[in-house]
Amino acid sequence: MLLDLKSVQKRFGGVTALRDGNLSVREGEVHLLMGENGAGKSTLMKIVAGMQGLDDGQMLFRGQPVNFANPKAAAASGIAMVHQESLLASHLTVGENIFLGREEMSGFGIVNRSAMMSRAAKLIEAHGFPLQAHWRVDRLSPAGRQLVEICRAIANGTSLLIFDEPTSSLSESETKEVFTIVKKLKEKGAGVIYITHRLEELRTIGDRVTVLRDGATVHSGDLKDLSRSQLIQHMVGRDLGALYSRQPYPAGKPLLEVKNLNRAKILKDINLTLRSGEIVGLAGLMGAGRTELCRAIFGIDAADSGELIVDGKPVKLTSPRDAVNAGIALIPEDRQKTGLATQLSVGWNLTLTSLGAHSRFGILESAKLTATEKKFIDRLRIKTDGPAQKSVRLSGGNQQKIVIAKWVAQGARIFLFDEPTRGIDVGAKTEVFEVMDGLARDGAAILMVSSELTELIQVADRILVMRQGKLSGELPGRTTQEEIMALAAFEEETQS
Amino acid sequence: MIQRLLPFATLIVLFVILLFDQNFRSETNLFSVIRQTAVINIMALGMTMVIITAGIDLSVGSILAMGGLLGTMAMAQGQPILVGVLVGILTGALCGFVNGYLITRLKINAFIVTLGTLGIIRGLTLVISNGLPVHQIPPGFSFLGEGIILGVPFVLWVLLICALLVHFLLEHTKLGRYSFAIGSNPDAAFYAGIPVAFHLTCVYAICGALTGLAGMIEASRLMTGQPTAGNGYELQAIAAVVIGGGSLRGGEGSVVGTLVGAFIMGLLSNGSDLKGISPYWQQVIIGTIIILAVSFDELRKRRVV
Repeated sequence: MLLDLKSVQKRFGGVTALRDGNLSVREGEVHLLMGENGAGKSTLMKIVAGMQGLDDGQMLFRGQPVNFANPKAAAASGIAMVHQESLLASHLTVGENIFLGREEMSGFGIVNRSAMMSRAAKLIEAHGFPLQAHWRVDRLSPAGRQLVEICRAIANGTSLLIFDEPTSSLSESETKEVFTIVKKLKEKGAGVIYITHRLEELRTIGDRVTVLRDGATVHSGDLKDLSRSQLIQHMVGRDLGALYSRQPYPAGKPLLEVKNLNRAKILKDINLTLRSGEIVGLAGLMGAGRTELCRAIFGIDAADSGELIVDGKPVKLTSPRDAVNAGIALIPEDRQKTGLATQLSVGWNLTLTSLGAHSRFGILESAKLTATEKKFIDRLRIKTDGPAQKSVRLSGGNQQKIVIAKWVAQGARIFLFDEPTRGIDVGAKTEVFEVMDGLARDGAAILMVSSELTELIQVADRILVMRQGKLSGELPGRTTQEEIMALAAFEEETQS
Repeated sequence: MIQRLLPFATLIVLFVILLFDQNFRSETNLFSVIRQTAVINIMALGMTMVIITAGIDLSVGSILAMGGLLGTMAMAQGQPILVGVLVGILTGALCGFVNGYLITRLKINAFIVTLGTLGIIRGLTLVISNGLPVHQIPPGFSFLGEGIILGVPFVLWVLLICALLVHFLLEHTKLGRYSFAIGSNPDAAFYAGIPVAFHLTCVYAICGALTGLAGMIEASRLMTGQPTAGNGYELQAIAAVVIGGGSLRGGEGSVVGTLVGAFIMGLLSNGSDLKGISPYWQQVIIGTIIILAVSFDELRKRRVV
């Protein structure tokens, strides 16, 4: 046994993150770690990687009891972790980041930069990543950063590699490359622990699976013995029944029309219409321009040409403020960075966009505010101790509900959801879909960007597909993943 | 919770210790502590708002001098005292507005902008006054800094009114709520459609106005308009905010905390004077207190997340 965790416990102040964490990983296996957000997966992995100490229980590595004091100690034993959120020095280059903290030295404390960079270049080339060793990390997309993280983790040879949701921001081909790396490591006899929310990925890659729920291991066993619904049941502890499916709703009048929208090389001649009561899916590979389209509609990036028509009237949107005034809301893909002021309370975040309606001459009407806060916590079933709790303490799903609720409270009519289910657990996903459905029924128009094709098929009335900045086609809601992929990737393949 | 109360507890302990000193207990000394602290305190109130937005204003020392100078010059020209005080406040507000405007329109870091205006405003003060203080001030003006109402110094009432005003702004207005949001996560605030530039400019202008008022109090206590007044006050104002729990990363800070922070520094300096500790050592003590205060604050936060 490579790694053995027995009854591991971890508390943060009064909160118990782990009460009974058990996990055994063999050499040469890919071990999936699953569970809803807040189940304790990341905490367990941080203990293994030496980022946090355990309060109780035992950790055995190659049969020896260990308790790593810091990530460096874990790395010395050959344990590396690819993090979900990027932990890179953004002003340094790709190569410098790969070897950060273990630079090639040429004596007297001088870094042998050229040797280091060429080693990095070789590493990148060996895996066929679309990266250059001399690129600065802050210019990279989230996917690019993720690949740097992976290079960093495998650079010095590891015997246990932990992936924390590595593919949530990667494109199809990059995901394949990650899987190839995982398979290579497995052949070499290394253990791989793989945290994922994407059920589809399981079959192709995993050998065994451990499911955590509420800080305790509830299931551990071979993956092939386990059906998808059994797995979901272990994770949520109840029978979810069928996957989410939505009754389509007759669409009303157009709320948002985009005409001939262009933005240098990123958006090319985009035309689309969102009608009241409909959920329009937007599919596409990473870098196809989906997020950029949302940003252009929301007034963050200025378009070079094109027209926006809201509710039949042409509008000029040069800032998010204009967009908000026109009744447009953006639920951004990066919740922590742009969606939520995580250090502020739940209540303050909920009412941030609707303070104007809750104040007279700039003075807040606290009774009205409290009522609104309560109303939306109840309506969206946000799990919180109360409006005064800091948003950072909530799970991803509940944070996402806050972001949605603040726009509902504001009275927006056009919703741009950019990857609304990223990093949130199965149960919360369904709840988010229900909220979106409710909004559509109340007459809102919804654009839903998602990389999860099954979600688009489940939720959207029709699906637009983007490829290289252009809309490459439109499909009915009840389509197949293959048809979407064909539109999203086809031309790329013929060109290359 | 314990750490959050720490500044408050420190202030009380400090006060109780000093109460044993007969010289401290005297009315003259207590009033002088209040008067000395009031100027920094009123500046620090404005600074609290700025720091909550994750900004900083290094130019307040210069603004204080400019406000005091133009206010006293107005009086020297024969304007009534009230008009003079208003001139001082408006001068401060204008300087603050310029700071805010430069920060939000040129999108330059607040530290750099106010480092620049620190020099510019100080220089202009010296140019306007030709380096000479203004002396022809109506005697009635001394009431602002030295007068007594209901048995306590007039400045204490001024300070309380300012504190209530800033507290109200922070806790009960859109401006205050937006300030916290901008300081906590400027991107999220922008994405929420908040007019970030407008509100930031307002905050800097308010900070400037309060500093202008502080400048008039300083001028009233000295009974001169000193072009060199307020040198280095910016650091004391920032220190008061930070000791009181404000975070330079933004999103945190309170009026009560800042008042406590300013009085801790006031009592430390007064106490050291009474105990015969040299002003050289006082600087060491204040510096240590700042670092200790922030360390405790960081410890508290680390435990939470």
